[in-house]
Amino acid sequence: MRRQGLLWLNAICALFPATVLASATAEGRVELPKSHSAPVQAKRYEIVTKAGVLSTQPPLAVVYLDGSFPQPASVPTKEVAQKDLTFIPAILPIQLGTKVEFPNLDDAYHNIFSYSPAKRFDLGRYRPDERPIPTQVFDKQGLVILRCDIHEHMRGLILVLNTPYFVMTDTNGHFRLNGLPAGHYTLKAWIDSRTTREKPVELKSGQTLHVDFP
Amino acid sequence: MSSTVPARDKGIARFRTRLFTAMMLVVATLTALGFYLAQRKVTADAERNLQAIFQSELSSLHKLEELRHAALADRCNALAAKSRIHAAIEDNAIDLLYPSAKDELRDLMEGEEPPPEQAGQSLHARFYRFLDSKGAVIKPLNPYNVGELDAKTEAQLALDKLPDTQQIGYIQENTQAGDGSIVEVIAVPIFSTDTGDVISALVIGFKPLELEAKYMGMKSGIWANGQLHLPALPRSTQASLNDKLAGELANSDQGENYFRVDVAGAPQLLFYKRLNPASLFPPAYEICVYPLSYSLAQLHRLRWQIGGAGALLLLGGFVASHLVALRLSMPVKKLALDSEENRTQRKRAEAALASTAEELERSTRYSADASHQLKSPVTVFRLGLESLLAREDLKPEVYEELSALLHQTHRLTGVIDDLLLLSRMDAGHLEIASTPVNLSQLVDEWLDDLGALPDSLDVKIEKEFPRGLFVTGEKRYTSLIVQNLLENARKYNRPGGRIRVSACGNGKDVVLTVGNTGRTIPPGENIFERFHHSSTPSAASGHGIGLNLARELARLHGGDLRLVRSEDDWTEFEVRFSAVDGVIGVA
Repeated sequence: MRRQGLLWLNAICALFPATVLASATAEGRVELPKSHSAPVQAKRYEIVTKAGVLSTQPPLAVVYLDGSFPQPASVPTKEVAQKDLTFIPAILPIQLGTKVEFPNLDDAYHNIFSYSPAKRFDLGRYRPDERPIPTQVFDKQGLVILRCDIHEHMRGLILVLNTPYFVMTDTNGHFRLNGLPAGHYTLKAWIDSRTTREKPVELKSGQTLHVDFP
Repeated sequence: MSSTVPARDKGIARFRTRLFTAMMLVVATLTALGFYLAQRKVTADAERNLQAIFQSELSSLHKLEELRHAALADRCNALAAKSRIHAAIEDNAIDLLYPSAKDELRDLMEGEEPPPEQAGQSLHARFYRFLDSKGAVIKPLNPYNVGELDAKTEAQLALDKLPDTQQIGYIQENTQAGDGSIVEVIAVPIFSTDTGDVISALVIGFKPLELEAKYMGMKSGIWANGQLHLPALPRSTQASLNDKLAGELANSDQGENYFRVDVAGAPQLLFYKRLNPASLFPPAYEICVYPLSYSLAQLHRLRWQIGGAGALLLLGGFVASHLVALRLSMPVKKLALDSEENRTQRKRAEAALASTAEELERSTRYSADASHQLKSPVTVFRLGLESLLAREDLKPEVYEELSALLHQTHRLTGVIDDLLLLSRMDAGHLEIASTPVNLSQLVDEWLDDLGALPDSLDVKIEKEFPRGLFVTGEKRYTSLIVQNLLENARKYNRPGGRIRVSACGNGKDVVLTVGNTGRTIPPGENIFERFHHSSTPSAASGHGIGLNLARELARLHGGDLRLVRSEDDWTEFEVRFSAVDGVIGVA
């Protein structure tokens, strides 16, 4: 009974991290790979493949608190749209069990599929006005590479995480994670499909921990 | 003369034989050369011809293959453009690779096998496989759709690394019967449209294209993996050819060549050419065997023709040599006759010359002997006369008579001395001991002697020469020359006449000129002849050897004596001596 209450509390914390008073914060900077391309103006990212490694361009990282957190009863639905023959957003970190919609905002057909071990699916060809909007629930942790069978160059990434605590850094690598539970955890920074850095952290309620990923 | 005629005929026959032998040699050499050249030409022609056929057939094969390769390249580019292929390879979903490619490559595996002439255009494959990033074969889950292969055959498809260009290979497929057949495989790289890297390769197996048998008896096959596949030949022949080929290919670094082989006892030309130069697959060669029977038949025919031509030429040569020998022998015969005549004439002339020389020598010897024989009695005679003259009881007439006789003995001694000298000169025994001789002094002495002579002629003497004029010579003989000239000048003078003696030197020669008045010498009279006697009688006379002797002596001294002129009461002789080096004359 008591344990269940704690779970609830956790769930509430996860849902409303900012409102929870007894929560910890982690902030810092992830050392990102040097970007050789010009900075993107409209905050648009694309996925690039280099020697079989997928990363975002310009580089950014996903910082998340790894641990064993209970599956929430309901998770908000997220969206990866196809616009101008690209995935928007190019990278989407989600919590395990999240449902993602794939609306087609182009005037062309798309056929979104994935052969990734974390999720194999094929939405088939669909028009922009297709209703209902094709969705997929991601119930296995890992990196899902989104492709379009019609537009070979299109790449998108969905990072399925088993934690509700994650945030994307800005292009300089700065991040801030609020409403974290106190305790011993591992803070991880996903940089590309091959590189994830991690650091053990001890979070204390009401404190802000500074963590840098060199 | 009669014995030389058969000898001559024999010589002509010998000449003819030699001529014929030489001709035969030439014809035989020409025929042999003809044989050799014809054989070389036929062989080279056949080789060139067959090589051209081989090359053209290979090139047509090559064109078909290029069509096939281009079609395959297109196919692979299309495959590479497929998201699902990329996804399967890049996202490690190998199980989905073959199903993803299935639709794209369906037509490769379906449909009837096309007839050989369309093999290039159509892409009817036996099987296809993908290679992973390390070049290993990705095994299909359901091999039925992609062409079943046994493990051993499949293993041959793997490469050490992924190729970045099309690679051709030939592998041996092990069918159940154990009779391996050759499969042509083409590995086509699949490039990532994203990065441009080679992410995989598609290896497609085809039935190999075959050369068209345009040439009678031609057999073609493929040599791959150290094994010859030439189904048209029996197995045992293939095995023996295989050994030869293996040796040839091991020793040759050339991609193509040819050599002669015997197949079932018949000579053949075997061509080979590397089918997949610079391929990652093991080397394979196109093998073509062409029978040489046609060129051998041609050679046989040509041999007969050349042999016949040679024989005809020999026959013609025989006739021609016969005729030529006859024609040539005529002038030769004439030449022989002429040379015989020449020889006799020459012999005769030689004999005459020999006898003349003999006589000459004899006469020279004789005159020398005679002079010696004469000298002693004359000396005895003179001594006798001198002792008689010494007596005081002689009557004046007798005394005069004896004096005249004594004078004659003196003359006789002089003549004998001259004769002796001449004969010694003729025999070539006279040697001259050259010394500088004071010619001026010599002439002065002789002129004094002349003046001292009891003389009825009142002759005036003019002298015109420098003092101390030296010449080269032996004093005795130089003196003799001068004496001769001066005595003649006095002897043949007229009463009240004059004698003029002059001399001058020009550095090399010294010329002494003696002129006198008196009777002139008629032109054409050879006064220098030995024992010459004047045609016009006169009181004064000599024994006819003085001038001859003087000239011979002058010539012996390297000078000469000649008559300068003889006209208008004036006769002038000139004698040339060699001057003494550096001593020309002191005035």
